[in-house]
Amino acid sequence: MKVLLSWLREFVDAPDTTEDIARLMSMRGFAVEAIEPFGDGDTVIDFEVTANRPDCMSVLGIAREVAAAYRVKLRTRGASPVAASAKAPASLAETARRRGSPHGPKGSAPESLDIVIESPILCPRYVGAVADVEVGPSPAWMQTRLQAAGLRPINNIVDVTNYVMVEMGQPMHAFDHARLAGAQIRVRPARAGEALRTLDGQLRTLSPEMLAIADAERATAIAGVMGGGDSEVTPATKTIVLESAYFNPLSVRRTSKKLGLKTEASMRFERGADPGLPAAAMARALDLIETTGAGHGRGRVIDRYPRNIKSVVLRLRREKIAGLLGGAIPDRDVRRILERLGFTLDPASGGWRVVVPTRRVDVTREVDLIEEVARHYGFDRLPTTFPALTAAAPPLDPRITCARHLRALLTTAGFFEAVTFGFIPERAAAPFAADGDLVPIANPLSELFAVLRPSLLPGLVDVVAHNRRREQRDVRLFEIGARFTRSGGERQSLACVWTGAAAPEHWSGTGRPVDFFDAKAVVERVGQALGAEIQTTPAREPWLAAGRSAAVVANHARVGVVGQLADALVDAHGLPGSEPVYAAELDLDALALAAGRVVRVEPLPRYPSVTRDISILIGDTLPADDVRRTIREAAPPTLVRVAEFDRYQGKGIPPDKVSLSLRLTFRASDRTLTDAEVQAAMDSVLSALREKHGAVQR
Amino acid sequence: MIDRSAIDTLRADFRLRLAAATTDRDLKALDDAFLSRRSGSVTALLKQVASGPPEERREFGRLVNALKTEIESALDGKRAAIASTRPPAGAVDVTLASRQIPMGRIHPLMRVRQEVEDIFVRMGYEILEGPEVEDDYHNFEALNMPPDHPARDMQDTLYLGVPIPGGIWGAHRGRVPEAQVRTATLLRTHTSAMQIRYMKTFPPPIRLIVPGRVYRRDNLDLSHTPMFQQFEGLVVGRGVTLADLKGTFEAMVRELFGDVKVRLRPSFFPYTEPSAEVDITCQSCGGAGCGTCKHTGWLEILGSGMVHPAVFEAVGYDADEVTGFAFGMGMERVAMLKYGVDDIRLFYENDVRFLEQFPL
Repeated sequence: MKVLLSWLREFVDAPDTTEDIARLMSMRGFAVEAIEPFGDGDTVIDFEVTANRPDCMSVLGIAREVAAAYRVKLRTRGASPVAASAKAPASLAETARRRGSPHGPKGSAPESLDIVIESPILCPRYVGAVADVEVGPSPAWMQTRLQAAGLRPINNIVDVTNYVMVEMGQPMHAFDHARLAGAQIRVRPARAGEALRTLDGQLRTLSPEMLAIADAERATAIAGVMGGGDSEVTPATKTIVLESAYFNPLSVRRTSKKLGLKTEASMRFERGADPGLPAAAMARALDLIETTGAGHGRGRVIDRYPRNIKSVVLRLRREKIAGLLGGAIPDRDVRRILERLGFTLDPASGGWRVVVPTRRVDVTREVDLIEEVARHYGFDRLPTTFPALTAAAPPLDPRITCARHLRALLTTAGFFEAVTFGFIPERAAAPFAADGDLVPIANPLSELFAVLRPSLLPGLVDVVAHNRRREQRDVRLFEIGARFTRSGGERQSLACVWTGAAAPEHWSGTGRPVDFFDAKAVVERVGQALGAEIQTTPAREPWLAAGRSAAVVANHARVGVVGQLADALVDAHGLPGSEPVYAAELDLDALALAAGRVVRVEPLPRYPSVTRDISILIGDTLPADDVRRTIREAAPPTLVRVAEFDRYQGKGIPPDKVSLSLRLTFRASDRTLTDAEVQAAMDSVLSALREKHGAVQR
Repeated sequence: MIDRSAIDTLRADFRLRLAAATTDRDLKALDDAFLSRRSGSVTALLKQVASGPPEERREFGRLVNALKTEIESALDGKRAAIASTRPPAGAVDVTLASRQIPMGRIHPLMRVRQEVEDIFVRMGYEILEGPEVEDDYHNFEALNMPPDHPARDMQDTLYLGVPIPGGIWGAHRGRVPEAQVRTATLLRTHTSAMQIRYMKTFPPPIRLIVPGRVYRRDNLDLSHTPMFQQFEGLVVGRGVTLADLKGTFEAMVRELFGDVKVRLRPSFFPYTEPSAEVDITCQSCGGAGCGTCKHTGWLEILGSGMVHPAVFEAVGYDADEVTGFAFGMGMERVAMLKYGVDDIRLFYENDVRFLEQFPL
């Protein structure tokens, strides 16, 4: 709300400078967005008016708050600049001179207007009046003030309606009387398909849930939103009908939204205008028309008020004030503050009975009154305390502790944490979800944010590409966050990507690019950290390279995938295909279910272990998992560990074979194993390998 | 006649060459040049002793021998000195570049998040995450924003094209009736939606922090992103007051930013009454007034207020018995102020050169 300081001072004597007023008012709930010099030594203060305070979308409304803040009197009838301004008398005289044939004195002719409210719920009050006018420019002072408020001067009639709106907060409208069929105003629902060209030149199609201001035949304005072009006041207009009404906020809001049409009027009506104001605003408008020489009112002012909106009456208890604010406020301050804001107080048991002025649509409960008191008493004057602990804090959310755990783990493994948006382009998302499983955004900002991410990986790969373009060759990233599909809903996920070197470059040796087993190690480490044993089994994903992708399994449940990103995907994100990108994504919700975190210590071994190495020739497509399983099944329980330590293909090995070397560790908890025992175990292991896999010992 | 000056010449020559010697090889060459049995210059002098006049032999012999001893011990001394500067067997050049242990970084927004979580954990708060896709009731209606409420315009909402099942929260607290969002239709515009889910599930007293991502239909610019991170705070109980809210913020802000001033400014949120925005002393100018703080000396860091009785009524609390305060704070805002970041987009670009400026 842009308020011209000289206009404000017509209503209230604030002793301070502009800056001081701005500072104090921001501490009363009206943040100041800008202070700008305007014209000849004047200033415009742009107050931010919160959505609950339509009563302050006017100079008078702001003045009332300033008066309360400074504890000074509010002059509700501002000294009109027509008399107050030095320039005004000249302009008044000028206008008077220009006026040709004077219209008859006020009240000499019948008002020749009929007002019918067909929808009293949507329009509880409609005040109308007729005036004979000579349309021309409005006085300079009025134009200046409108410009200061951010409005464009149009002519002396429209300017008066806007002036009253800015000054008092009552949106008004003027119709050309000659263009109203039947000299009638009918406030009625629009007819289905009824068309109206609004003042902005747009042809609009109305619907029955919209409220129209119509004449005897057709809609001529959209109630509370915008007038129609047909009945617009033009230089040829001789007689006008002035409208000063109260419309249902919800109705105006819906209409404005549906039409995509936001106006100064609709913004005030939809937040809630003052049903008590239309008559006073009409009087002010007629007065301005008269005193600026724009014309004369004719006949009576018609005030249709079929549904009287009564003032809200509330109870205000001292005990509740102190209970909410944490400190008592003296009675005299409570009374002073509320009365200056226009509330009426009567003593009642434990406090007061308070009548709320109709303009204060935001005050409907006791707590709203307490806010008014606190606001003008000053939050800074309230005591400062600390809430008492009355119960033990519940345990931390394991999801949060898990995320912290993973952050610590992965950053020490060289991964940078990334945070990317939850929505991504549909093209990027498509490979990661089954057909029809993507969740589109109904009203996306752009195609870049078209669907909810079904995976964190598209976002992370974009980050890899961003960094690669900035000379970062080795990139390790992870993200923890939600992903979404239609079938699975919202799931917590961890994703990692790794491209470039497996280890930082060093003078002592040649580097090696990251490979599948580096990525697998990360996944296993995450599992270890969360207490889940991880297995990987071959799996296919459209976005992973064939033969280099695996499902991650924990406790027999699939919890994620790991592998090399498919060339097509890497390419689509603008990365060079020559350097592989490895990726893993784990479902943290599923992993949490698979994880066991109970720690039970086992006694340390008391007897030495025996190790035996074997090298076997086997088919080169046989999974190592199968080999280990065969060994475990064939060996006695004294086998405590089996792990491959060498794998060789090439010279001396048949083309479809591979040489695999494994180290077996045996140990018993109650004795030292004998050579014979171990040898027997090895024999049965080797014969099982021979039988099951055709393994040949080398 | 023996030329005694030859001894002095040799001595001077030796001393010069010894001073220039830096390696064992230099010393070996010196040894050869002066003391070699066949060609050493001192050896040659000793040979002259026998051919000299008998009365001088004794004296001359003594002088030459003295020179020989001197040279031998000087060479030994230098040899030891050189040996002592040579690295021992197996020594390495400790100034060579180390083998780097790769180190990533926690994202600055998550650093802030963890720091705030820690502050409130110390104050006895529960920390919970909530679902990001929500329904209209929890995100708006129960928070005193019925359909068509003008305040809904304050947060331009992103809606889902199709309803989906939402996330699960609070699994660790046993059976939670509001644990799952049944049919999510929108992206939550604030973490306040969790106020409703939590209060519908648990009775007071409450001390809760909900960190998480929220979404609004805002274009990307210096200070806006369509997704950002928030903390929701909720304290409910008998006799919780606005004064408690003030005290809590003062404690939090002191921990986050050090010795700065805090002020509460009246504002409006549909779900709190009274509502307040919380400002802290501008971090750029220390309160003197500058461009960052629009010359006010203050920077807004969060919105807060006393829980609106309509919210208590929506969750079935007795608004006459309990009071509470709630607040919402942006992690980006805190991180920008704390670390001097002037473009919010940096947090979402994830440029490693940006991320690695933060300590682990």
